[in-house]
Amino acid sequence: MEVTSITPQQVKADDECFHHDNEQLHEGHMEIIIEEISRGQKLLHRHKMNQPAINIGRGYSNDIILADPHICSEHVKIQLINGFWQIQDQASINGTFLENPKEKKKPADKHILEDGDIISIGKSQLRIHFVDHPVADTVKFSPFESFINLMRHPIALLVSVALFTLVSGTIFYLDKAIEVNFTQLLVPAIGMSLLFSLWPAGISLVSHLTKHDARVLTQLGICFAFFNLMWFSDLLENIVAFNSSSNSIFTVLIAIVPIALAFCMFWLNCYIGFHMSAKRRMVVSMGITAFLFGGSYLIQYSNKPDFNARPQYNNVLMTPSFLLTPSSSVDKFIEDSNKLFEKANKAAIKE
Amino acid sequence: MKYIFAFISLIFSQCIIATEQAEEIFAQLTPSLYQIKLIDKASGEKSSIGSGFQITSNGLIATNYHVISSFARHPDKYRMEYLDHQGNTNTLSLESVDVINDLALVKRDVAEPMTFFKISENTPHKGEQLFSLGNPHDLGMIVVPGTYNGLKKESFSDRIHFTGSINSGMSGGPVVNKQAEVVGINVATSGNQIGFLVPHDKLVTLFNSYKQSPPTTIKAQMANQLMASQDELISTLLNSHWESKSLGGKGAIPIIDVPFIRCWGESNADKQDALILTAVANCSLEENTYISSHFFTGSIEVEFRYMQAKELGGNKFYHLYRQQIARAGAGNRAGKDDVTEYQCHHDIVMPDNKAINNKSIFCTRAYKDFPDLYDVLYLAASIDKKQQALVSHFTISGVSQENSMAFTEKFMEAVSWK
Repeated sequence: MEVTSITPQQVKADDECFHHDNEQLHEGHMEIIIEEISRGQKLLHRHKMNQPAINIGRGYSNDIILADPHICSEHVKIQLINGFWQIQDQASINGTFLENPKEKKKPADKHILEDGDIISIGKSQLRIHFVDHPVADTVKFSPFESFINLMRHPIALLVSVALFTLVSGTIFYLDKAIEVNFTQLLVPAIGMSLLFSLWPAGISLVSHLTKHDARVLTQLGICFAFFNLMWFSDLLENIVAFNSSSNSIFTVLIAIVPIALAFCMFWLNCYIGFHMSAKRRMVVSMGITAFLFGGSYLIQYSNKPDFNARPQYNNVLMTPSFLLTPSSSVDKFIEDSNKLFEKANKAAIKE
Repeated sequence: MKYIFAFISLIFSQCIIATEQAEEIFAQLTPSLYQIKLIDKASGEKSSIGSGFQITSNGLIATNYHVISSFARHPDKYRMEYLDHQGNTNTLSLESVDVINDLALVKRDVAEPMTFFKISENTPHKGEQLFSLGNPHDLGMIVVPGTYNGLKKESFSDRIHFTGSINSGMSGGPVVNKQAEVVGINVATSGNQIGFLVPHDKLVTLFNSYKQSPPTTIKAQMANQLMASQDELISTLLNSHWESKSLGGKGAIPIIDVPFIRCWGESNADKQDALILTAVANCSLEENTYISSHFFTGSIEVEFRYMQAKELGGNKFYHLYRQQIARAGAGNRAGKDDVTEYQCHHDIVMPDNKAINNKSIFCTRAYKDFPDLYDVLYLAASIDKKQQALVSHFTISGVSQENSMAFTEKFMEAVSWK
């Protein structure tokens, strides 16, 4: 299978090499880094080689041994010639190719390696780096790090889960119109906690599957901390709804809080579970938030009947201790109610 | 024995006389009796039937509004026809309606002056024998003897209580006395020989105003009648005595002292395991105005609910209390084509007497075909006691803005803690 004749492609490749040489006159790299990467460009193994010839193949005599069954026992050799690393295909059955995202892949035999080249052999891919390859800037610990560390602590986690269970139990208790005993509340409350722990568990599983750290405790800790914050924002929303009249804009403002909380939680989930750029993290967490809230809004909207004969009104009632606003007078109420007729008339004309 | 025999023979002879009279009346009046049919234009089949009777020589026929309501609401969709005793049919035109008293005047073309029903000038006396005419269930014209039993009690609009079988399809048919004069019009039944008639004077009023000036449009005429009727009703209510009564021993609620508003009460005092003791009083106007089969108006409902927690924390009490007030709805049936959706306002309101602090909700929806008429709903929930609550609620349908607000204001000031 060895190529004996020179194809026009090879001539072109050689031309490119000379061009490269002229442009970049520098001393050759004695050390070379060969990374085994997955199809999704994720790093699987990294080898730093310090020898003039490197044999790669499935055989145990190679310097880099690959398990891919589509690779020959002696598949390819990378050799340092005149300060440049050259690929030499060892008459392999399936060939050696140069991956290029912009062009079609082409045979890599005799190719002079450059920093960042990706060679595919069999079904595996190797990425070549030289020692002077630049690395990305160091990622600073985010200010959330201390919060994350706190929430990851088993005691903190236990407290948040317990708090969550307690709150759900209380809500079950409040909703029951009949007398209930402790076990009747405990079972659904624990069930609720388990149900809600599916989300962080799912994320951990996904990050584990994508070769990231699972960090189950951290995800659980963060999620339950936010679930509890959402309970709190629910309470806040109720207090505002109870105290405000129809004229108040607070009710609209307070409705943003759970959305913001959900966004923060998804952002932290991404931050903990996956290595991704800040921009990407932003987009992903915004996407999930939009999907969640937009989706539930769409479901509500699609279920909305064409005509609703029932009035939709604010029926939030809380104990007198939550009442913070002063009462209006009957005259004020009548005056405000009078404005509704104008609105109703407009609606009648419009339809 | 002699007396018994005499008595039985007397009854028997009375029956024979009644039958003879019925036969005679039927034979005499039958040319002026009609079956009224609404034909759905698209399908060509009849969609509703009723009865009617001619009241002038030139073809004016009286019937019930509800018989021809579909035509009045959607004149393009239906055709109105009559069927006379000889089986002739022809189209009718709608001339005038009285939606409050459920009357309508329709007209047929006549070639020459015809016989017609004479309308009585006197009201019958109690126990007088009357004869109801009509075409029940499309079975053919019949005559039903019955008894006049005065005007229905506790009713805002006048209705004659007639003891005799009135069945559906007879609506719009005349009820005559022995002199064959019309004293009422069949309108409704509550089964078991209890029938209701519209008194003849309502027909006279409608006929006279029609003679003076026929209505320009039926819709405007209905709007005016609804407006006038609610004005009369609400002003009667506002000018009546509002008696303060106790509910559950703690709440003070107004009971409007008029005969046509009737109240009922209920409580769960017998339920040992109930977490909340509840006492409910509700009052309502037990009649309403028919506009179409899915649009009623003119109803009033008032409801008070007193609740007290039994060995229950304040938070749970209020949570259950909130569910209690979550699903207030309209008091009348109305659809998308008739009304808008409700617009609501809510606030924390304390009346001037400072005797209660309420979360008050007011909702209204406008009528699409009758300008300046609305359905309103008011709901107030007390929020100043930890373990007790008083809910006050009313709905009024087909009311003007001014009247509804006057009623609301008076109502809000009348509910309090004792």
